[in-house]
Amino acid sequence: MFTGWLIKPGAPQWLWALGVLGDFLIFGSALFLLLQLVPVRYRKALVVIITFLAGLIYSVEFFVPADPKTGKNFLTGLIEQVADATNVVYAFALGLGIYSLFRFHGRNLARKRSGWHNSSAFFIAFFAMMLAGFWHDLRPSAMSRNTYNMLFDGIVAALGATMFSIVGFFIVSAAYRAFRIRSAEATLMLTAAFIVMLGQVPIGAYITSSLPTAGLGSLFKLENVSYWILNEPNMAAWRAIAFGIEVGALAMALRTWLSLERGSFFEREL
Amino acid sequence: MSGMRASGRKAEKVNPMIHANWTVTILEAVLVFLILYKIFSARRGKELYIRKIPGLNAIDEAVGRATEMGRPMLFSPGLSGLGLPTLQALAILKHITSAAAKYRTRIIVPTADSVVYTIAEEISKDAYSAQGVPEHFNPEDVRFLSDDQFAYASGVVGILNRENVASNFMFGNFFAESLILAETGHQVGAIQVAGTPQITQIPFFITAADYTIIGDEFYAASAYLSREPTLLGSLVGQDYAKAALILIMAAGIVTATLLAIHPAWAAWLDWLKWLKP
Repeated sequence: MFTGWLIKPGAPQWLWALGVLGDFLIFGSALFLLLQLVPVRYRKALVVIITFLAGLIYSVEFFVPADPKTGKNFLTGLIEQVADATNVVYAFALGLGIYSLFRFHGRNLARKRSGWHNSSAFFIAFFAMMLAGFWHDLRPSAMSRNTYNMLFDGIVAALGATMFSIVGFFIVSAAYRAFRIRSAEATLMLTAAFIVMLGQVPIGAYITSSLPTAGLGSLFKLENVSYWILNEPNMAAWRAIAFGIEVGALAMALRTWLSLERGSFFEREL
Repeated sequence: MSGMRASGRKAEKVNPMIHANWTVTILEAVLVFLILYKIFSARRGKELYIRKIPGLNAIDEAVGRATEMGRPMLFSPGLSGLGLPTLQALAILKHITSAAAKYRTRIIVPTADSVVYTIAEEISKDAYSAQGVPEHFNPEDVRFLSDDQFAYASGVVGILNRENVASNFMFGNFFAESLILAETGHQVGAIQVAGTPQITQIPFFITAADYTIIGDEFYAASAYLSREPTLLGSLVGQDYAKAALILIMAAGIVTATLLAIHPAWAAWLDWLKWLKP
């Protein structure tokens, strides 16, 4: 608000960023002081009211019919602003996460605890990536782009792909333990898994390639049996679980919105 | 899901599912009424029966195991930010941390979201204070690792191995890293209790974890563990809501089947059109 009044259009980007930060500090401090003036016994009620109003905006926006031409109603614009405000809060919370990392790894380094060299690797990687990012953003050049790409694509993305590839090996070890003929259900699961896996690979199609492609015989082709297992009984179970989850989520959302959730958020029921 | 309008001008895309129609509004009202009715009747003192959920009973067993072995526990609240699954995971964290504080057992909580990290730290601190041992709370045991999926998984795997945890709890939204965490927990010999609303990850947890909480049992966890009347009432209300949905689906199935057999009955079986979005 003050930024718009004090800073003229065309001003450098850093000045606008400074202005926005100043706005936030001024209004944030004013809001904090106002909240301190609220008596202690009314603070929980204030939280309940704010929670209810915040949820009410989303509920009313969903249930009020929208204009058929635009797909929006009178609250849709406000929702978008609330979402932007939430993103801003999240961005500030990221600083707390970085503080947590610095505190933990900084103490590891300072006290030379076991594994302190891993903490030094964290700091080197953190500052290298940060500096490369700022360099590429503020002074883009071929060298800055190559450096950034080398760090991100060459190291970060490659490490992520490495971890993802471990999932394949873990699936084998988990399947070795799980797919045993211990009971009727386990045998059924083993058989279904065997058919579905064969149905996904060319050798599965080759095994039943002698069967006709149309008519009753085609129903027993491995790829068709695999498709049926995935799309009929499996899908039925999937949807049944999804129904339960969504109704449970509805109940929990209701409790949270109406501040009826007792436990982590209030030490007594309201 | 999107409708295109043909006109002389460039067609505009309108998504009809962003806002509710009358069918959805009435259905939501019925479900909400059922849930709220049971919540308020439970608050008036009505006794409610909840069946046993082995996975949730195993939580106390896992805490006891870690205490006896003198090894720490690990609680992972999932990858997502502050949404419903994470709120539920944090409610379970409070229960486990209270038990950990009571028995002076160490619990490590790595998080993948900064906001979740701050709330998890507050929950842990309050749990230790409530048990009268705030000095036993170690702030470094609640850590933010990374919001990158596999960086977080790497960090948790490292903690599981270095700390040699005895009990591993995984509650919240998990994705491809679920099997990495669960298998590593199995390898270090930890007892594992997992629950997620992500249907695609449930098979991995069933395979690798000792106890898995499936589907709506996840959202029943806070009610089951705390036995608060409000939460128990909500749980029963959920079941009533599911029963209502099943009745609607059954009526729809019967109607659609009859229509297929007797198309001439379409005139008085036309109510099905009201269920279309």
